[in-house]
Amino acid sequence: MTGRALELQRVSQTRGAGRRAVTALHDASLAVVAGEFVLLEGPSGAGKTTLLAVAAGLLRPAAGEVTLAGRSLATMSVVECRRHRAAHVGFVFQRSNLLPGLTVRENVLLMAAIAGVPHAEGECETTRLLEALGIAALAQRYPRELSGGEEQRAAVARALVHRPSIVLADEPTGNLDGSSGRAVAEGLAALAAERGAAVLVATHDARLEPFATRRVLIVDGRITPQ
Amino acid sequence: MTPLIRKALRSRSVRFWLTAGGIGVTALLVMVLGSAYHSVSSSVAAYVGQPGIDVWVAPLGVDNLMRSSAFLPAHVPESLATIRGVAAADPIVRSYVTVRDEANPSPGGRRLALIAIGYAAPSGGGGPPVIARGREPRDSNDITLDRAAAARLHVTLSDTVWVNGHAGVIVGLTDGTNLLSTQFLFANLSTVSEASALRGRASFALVRPAPGVQRTVLLDSIRTRFPRLSVYSREQFTANNVREVAAGFIPLLTLVALLGLLAAAVLVVLLVHAVVEERREDIAVLLALGADAGALTRTVIAEALALALVGGLLGIIAASALGAVLDRALPVIPLLFHTADAARVLLVFVAAAIGAAVAPVARLRKIDPLEAFRA
Repeated sequence: MTGRALELQRVSQTRGAGRRAVTALHDASLAVVAGEFVLLEGPSGAGKTTLLAVAAGLLRPAAGEVTLAGRSLATMSVVECRRHRAAHVGFVFQRSNLLPGLTVRENVLLMAAIAGVPHAEGECETTRLLEALGIAALAQRYPRELSGGEEQRAAVARALVHRPSIVLADEPTGNLDGSSGRAVAEGLAALAAERGAAVLVATHDARLEPFATRRVLIVDGRITPQ
Repeated sequence: MTPLIRKALRSRSVRFWLTAGGIGVTALLVMVLGSAYHSVSSSVAAYVGQPGIDVWVAPLGVDNLMRSSAFLPAHVPESLATIRGVAAADPIVRSYVTVRDEANPSPGGRRLALIAIGYAAPSGGGGPPVIARGREPRDSNDITLDRAAAARLHVTLSDTVWVNGHAGVIVGLTDGTNLLSTQFLFANLSTVSEASALRGRASFALVRPAPGVQRTVLLDSIRTRFPRLSVYSREQFTANNVREVAAGFIPLLTLVALLGLLAAAVLVVLLVHAVVEERREDIAVLLALGADAGALTRTVIAEALALALVGGLLGIIAASALGAVLDRALPVIPLLFHTADAARVLLVFVAAAIGAAVAPVARLRKIDPLEAFRA
């Protein structure tokens, strides 16, 4: 895939209402193409998470247009948008957000199922990803039995199992120590590149810079190319 | 996807089984009340509805066995026997008697108030419907007693009891004669009449038609001949007695059953609410990943249904087990379970569970997937 995985055109978004309304995104434009690893950097409250949510179709922008995997989200119904997100977006959250009632393998398989990946294909891809991330031996363990780094690697597997167009990651290494954070970043970058997926990472973490193909700065909801 | 979502959102097993147990206890309560009612109704019907007695003749205005205090004029049974089409007209006397386990009452002695039926033993109508052990009374000292009454008096076959101070030997134990609050005792007509100071009187006359005689014709003949008596077919008289029992039981049963259902519904609401609250972050993550909100809703409703069904079944199984244990160890409390009651309990519990799941489901739909980013 060589096209644009994500394109935001002059997107604005406010948080809250009335006098308490805050502009979270202001005329933000950004394009991420397949295979790119883009760091979205900025201070806390700059609008990084809001941008990820708008990009995923979890928030409808007040103005502007979002195109995800070649389709504008503006014209989609809520159900269409959900299906499109399930098929084309992978998420890595600051905390792994693995479902505690499921094993590592089941967590990954669940994402494949949500995205509509055939079961056998999901099984194969899950096995490949867990092996590639060095956590195949932990497949039958529950999240509470894992370290933070292991959990986050499982989250990376979940984000990639359905071969999404783009992975949206929100501070994926924020809670990890040096070596664990590096292992997660390496895994995410290598496996996303292998699958031709774009990666957009909201982060403060300088350890991710070596993996970036591009860095974007966001301050007060405004995007500034670096 | 659904099995994995179900597994992901399933409540903790200890909480599930505790709640199912609580629902089971309410089901048990409802079942036991229902079965106690059925047992009493069945005992009443077993006696007054026993085959061979086709027509009950009672004093005017008396329509059931349970609450009658009037007596037939002395000549009625004999006069009935002369009506064409009547094979036999057996008098019975019904009175409340005090039965003791000792001749000279002492503070530690046991005593029971029982319904005594005096009949033309052993061949006359109106005897015990089912002999569990022993035999029917034959001699004037013979007494046949309900099994539960014998257990309450701590007596058994061949023991002597005192009926209103008159000695009697227990020759038989009966089943289907336990009305919960009291039981039946059967003895010869003269024995009960003597013990109750009712010599020469009859409470009812039980008429058996001659072969080939239509019962409606016979009923009409008796009514024509005795316009100042009440005359009932077996079915009418049975229905009257069951109605009399139901009048005391049904309001209480309905109230307790409703309270039980309410308690079960509250338990279901609490658990399903707890599932949604405990899993709020997980639900937000699932919604963010693109899971169908409908599938999550169905999962929550399925959880509520599983609780109601498992709890209801536990209650029904416990009720059956309790009935079997009580029948062996403490026959004083008769429990007769009907499959229809079990089905009704399950049906109502399932409906309550669906109703109870409405609020948690509405709450689930308000969860913002953005919470996944804040988790």
